[in-house]
Amino acid sequence: MHATLCDMITDLVQNSIEARATEITLEIKENDSNLNVVIADNGKGMDAETLQKARDPFFTDGIKHRHRKVGLGLPFLFQTAEMTEGTASIESEEGVGTTVTFQFDPNHLDLPEFGNLTTAAVTLMTYGYEGNLILKHQIGEKEYSISREELSDALGDLNDTESLLLLRQFIQGNEDELREV
Amino acid sequence: MAKMTLDELRKLREEKKKQMTQRDSNDKSAQIIIGMGTCGIAAGAKDAFDAFLDELESHNITDTKISQTGCMGLCFSEPTVEVDVPGMPRVIYGNVDDKVARRIVKEHIIGKSLVSDHIFDKPAVDIIK
Repeated sequence: MHATLCDMITDLVQNSIEARATEITLEIKENDSNLNVVIADNGKGMDAETLQKARDPFFTDGIKHRHRKVGLGLPFLFQTAEMTEGTASIESEEGVGTTVTFQFDPNHLDLPEFGNLTTAAVTLMTYGYEGNLILKHQIGEKEYSISREELSDALGDLNDTESLLLLRQFIQGNEDELREV
Repeated sequence: MAKMTLDELRKLREEKKKQMTQRDSNDKSAQIIIGMGTCGIAAGAKDAFDAFLDELESHNITDTKISQTGCMGLCFSEPTVEVDVPGMPRVIYGNVDDKVARRIVKEHIIGKSLVSDHIFDKPAVDIIK
């Protein structure tokens, strides 16, 4: 599985981008006993059969890499849920979109560390696609929300070094405030 | 780090833009493309991403673009990074951890000389076909 939960989240949100979603929401809610993440998109979705196969690490749609026989993003999620007594689910409808939901116990010994959400958010916001990504992060009572549209509007070209540095500073500032006691 | 509002972010960006246009602009800017597939992420591509940003910032280089792509077919040598500096050959580097990322900025982007011990020729054949 992935070394950090933020690595896993990055991988899963990329699935939404690759499903050509125009609207993706990443919602992370944390408190002392619960970590709840929902990734919802309006991408192309999957039929029931494909959805079932998507849990198999040896299944991939074969579009991106014609000769590759692995697809590890979702299997990593289900493996992590299984190993840490958490729950993970995926719902999808063809032509409508896909929603991935998981809930972990942040105190479980086998749970990978949370990781660096700032870098994960910066890379996801600047991954290079047309759609909108909304990030909502809540810890206890505090929360912030930011969307890719708002950021492009304020910064222009997001892949420019100057934008990337400002974007990182912006998200880090929000993250720091969330974690301030 | 202090929290900013979107308006503050916008203002900062506009200030920086003004400074940039005052500077002599080179004809084309360098580009860094980081492989951020499952394999890249697992191998630490985000550490490389942060190291590139830090090193570019510390040398005051603001005209370089950093973008990302999926797996380049070199999963065994992740993180992989493609670097395109105008007037130099496009190069794919393998095993780019944070230290190598810093070397690429110093030696390749600033020094205009390749980081030879991390070069890959081109993506795996089944990917580029």
